[in-house]
Amino acid sequence: MTQREPLDPHPSQPTRRRALKQAASVGLLATAAPHLLAQGDDLAPYRSAKINWKQVEGESISVAVIPASYFDNLLSLLPQFEALTGIKVRAEKVPPGQIRQKALLDLSSRTTTYATHAADPMYYPLYVANKWVEPLDKYLNDGTLTDPAWFRYDDILKAWRDADSIDGKPYGIPYDGEVTVQVYRKDLYDAKGLHPATTYDQLLSNAKALNDPANRVYGLAMRGFAGAGQNMYIYPSLFRGFGGNWFQGKDVVVNSPEAVKALQWYVDALTAYAPPAVRNWNWPDIADAFSQGTVATYLDAHSSAAVLNDPAKSKVIGKIGFARWPRGPNGKRVTSIWNWGFPINSALTDKQKKATWLFISWAASAETQARTSWKFAGAAKRSGVNRLSAWKSAEFSQAVGGAGNNFIAAALESLEQDTDVEWRPRVPQWPAIGETMATAIQSALVGQKKPKEALDEAQARIQQILKS
Amino acid sequence: MSPASRGAPLRRLLLWMGAGVLLAVWAFPVVWGLLTSFKTERDVLAYPPVWLFTPTLDNYREVIFGTSSILPNLWSSIVVSSASTLLTMLFAVPAAYAIARLRYPGKRASGFYVLATQMLPPVGLIIPYYLVLQKTGLLDSYSGLTAIYLTFSLPFAVWLMVSYFEDVPFEMEEAALLDRAGRMRTLWYVILPQVRGGIAVTTVFVFLNAWNEFLFAVVLGGNRVRPVTVAMFNFISVEQTQWARLAAGAMLAMAPVILIGLFAQRHIVKGLTVGAVKGGGRR
Repeated sequence: MTQREPLDPHPSQPTRRRALKQAASVGLLATAAPHLLAQGDDLAPYRSAKINWKQVEGESISVAVIPASYFDNLLSLLPQFEALTGIKVRAEKVPPGQIRQKALLDLSSRTTTYATHAADPMYYPLYVANKWVEPLDKYLNDGTLTDPAWFRYDDILKAWRDADSIDGKPYGIPYDGEVTVQVYRKDLYDAKGLHPATTYDQLLSNAKALNDPANRVYGLAMRGFAGAGQNMYIYPSLFRGFGGNWFQGKDVVVNSPEAVKALQWYVDALTAYAPPAVRNWNWPDIADAFSQGTVATYLDAHSSAAVLNDPAKSKVIGKIGFARWPRGPNGKRVTSIWNWGFPINSALTDKQKKATWLFISWAASAETQARTSWKFAGAAKRSGVNRLSAWKSAEFSQAVGGAGNNFIAAALESLEQDTDVEWRPRVPQWPAIGETMATAIQSALVGQKKPKEALDEAQARIQQILKS
Repeated sequence: MSPASRGAPLRRLLLWMGAGVLLAVWAFPVVWGLLTSFKTERDVLAYPPVWLFTPTLDNYREVIFGTSSILPNLWSSIVVSSASTLLTMLFAVPAAYAIARLRYPGKRASGFYVLATQMLPPVGLIIPYYLVLQKTGLLDSYSGLTAIYLTFSLPFAVWLMVSYFEDVPFEMEEAALLDRAGRMRTLWYVILPQVRGGIAVTTVFVFLNAWNEFLFAVVLGGNRVRPVTVAMFNFISVEQTQWARLAAGAMLAMAPVILIGLFAQRHIVKGLTVGAVKGGGRR
C-alpha cells in the first residue's frame, strides 16, 4: 500500500474509511499504474498553456460521473490533475438514471454537493431557465483561466458544443459522446450483394432480404424500451426524417401527420423484422444480440462498437460494417447525438467555480482526451473523444479504427453532417415531455394503441405539462 | 397418517406435481442466477442456453477483488441494515407493547399516526430527506442513512409487533402483575418469551427491507456509503450489461440474507402460523 499512498487524494480521512476506499480503488489504481509509469507525471503538455494552473491551489471540488469506462479512464488520471493544479477532486459514480435526479436535487436546492456533473444535454434548457449553471463564455474568454490557443474550444465537435449551448452561449463543455449510425453484418450483406441503406425504404428492403427468424437472424433492430433516452432516442430521428417539426410557433406539437407516419414506420419495421423481445430492449441488449450474430442491421450509437469487438463476448468480429443513418422521406439524414458534458454549478463560490473550470478544461483538453483514448494503457480506448483533430488523427484511427469497415468515416460524417440540434425538442419541460413521449411510443410498439391515438394522448398530456 | 397421504395415489401425484411447479417457479431465477454467475459472458449470451459449460470463477474474482469490487458495498449494507434493525427493534418492541396493552390518552391517534407515516410514497420524501441530511451534514453518512431507514422500518415493525402482543392472553400478564412484577419485568420475563417468534419474523423483515432498499440509498448515499443494491446497478452500465458479474454480485448480496433466513427459519415458520391462526390481526 505504501507506494500508493501519494496517489490517495484524501490523506486526511479517518483510517477505516480510507482503508475501505483504498480497497475499492486498488483495482482502479492497478490498471492505472502501468499507464502512469509509462507517461510519468509528465505535465509539460498542460504547462504549455499560458494560464496559472495553480491559481486556486488548495480548493476541493466534487464531481459526479456515471459508471462507464470512458469516465474510469479519466478518473484514473486525477492524480495528474491534482499534481498540476493542487485542487482536490472527489469523484462519485452515480448510475445514469439517478445522476439526473441527484443533479436536479442538488442544483434546485443549491446545496452545492456537486461542483460539476456529467450532464444530459437535454437538461440544459431547464438548468439555464433557472440559472442553476454558469454561462461558460466568460470562462472561455477570460485570459487568466483559458489560453484559447491551447484549449481550442472550436476544435471540439460542433454538434456536441451546440447541444450543450442555449441561444449560442455554452453552458457545458463536452467530454465524451456518440452518434447514431447503421451497424450491419458485412458478410451477410456481401453474400446477397446488398449495400448499406441510404434511404428508409432501402433499410426495410435490406431487412426483408436478410430476415430469417427460422435460423435466428433478424433483419433489423432498434431500441424499443420506454425512456427519454431509449425509444425517445430513436423515434425523434425518424420523426425529423419524415419532415416533422417539434414546434408550431412556440408550442410543442407531437401529433402532426408526419409524427403519425414516423411512428407507424417504427412500429411496422420492428414488428416485421426485429426480434420479438425488441420492444423491451435497450442498446446493450441490441448490441448483445448483434454480437451473437442474430441481428443483420441495427441503428444505434457508434460507441456500441466496443461490445461488438469484445473477444470475450462477440462472434461477429471482423464481419462488421458501419454506415450513416439513412435519408428520410424528406431527403434528410437526421441522426441522434449524445454527449456527456460538464457544466459549472452556479451556487459555488467564485474560487470553487474557477477550480471547477480548471477541472473541466483539463478533462476536455486535447491532451487529456488523448491520454484517455489512444494513449491509455488499459484495454478500453475511448471512441467518443470530443475533438475533430483527434478524430482525424492517425493515432485515433489506429486505436479504434479496427472496430469495423468504415467505422471512423461513418461516425465522423454523421457527426459533421447529419445532426440537427433540434432533433429532440429543447425546452425546460423536457424531462416530463420525454417520458410522456416514451410511454406513448411504447404503447404503440406493443400494439396497445394505434400510433395516432397514442400521439393524440401524448399531445394532450404535453399541453398540460407546458401549462403548469 | 397425514391427510395428504390418505388420498388416492393419483391425487397425491397431482399434489406433488403442483408443489413441484410452484417450487420451480420460485427456484428458477435463483438457480439461473447461480449458473450465470459461473459463466463467461459468451456463455451467458449463448443460444440455445447452455446447461453444461466450463465454470469460471472470474466473475467472483472480479466482484470481490477487481476494479468493481463490491466488498466495501457489502460492508455498507451490513452496517446500515444491522444498525437500523437493531435500533428499530429497540424502539419498536416497547412501542408496540404500549399500543397493544397500555391505556393512555391519544392512544388511537398515536396508533394511527404510526401508520399514517407509511401512507406517503417514498419517492415523495426524497427531496425533504435530502435537504434535511444536507443541512445537518449527514448526506453520504452511515448515521444519516440509518436514521432515514428508521422512518420506514419503525412503523412497519411497530404494527407487526402490535399484532403479536395482542395474541398474548391477558391472564398471563395479570398473573405476573398480581405477583408484583412491575411492567418492565412482566414485559421482559413473561411477555417477550411469548412473542419470540414475532420478534424473529419482524427482525428478519426489517433487515430484509433495509438490505434491499435502493431509492434512498442511491440518492442519500454516495461514495462512502454505497449499499450493495446501488453498487450492483453499476454492472448495468451505459456501455453494456455485464450479466455474469451482475449475477455473481447478486449471489454474494444474497448470501448474508440467506444465512439470516436459515438462522431464523424455525422462528419464522412458527411466527407466521401464529399470525395466520388468529386471522390476520391488525396488520
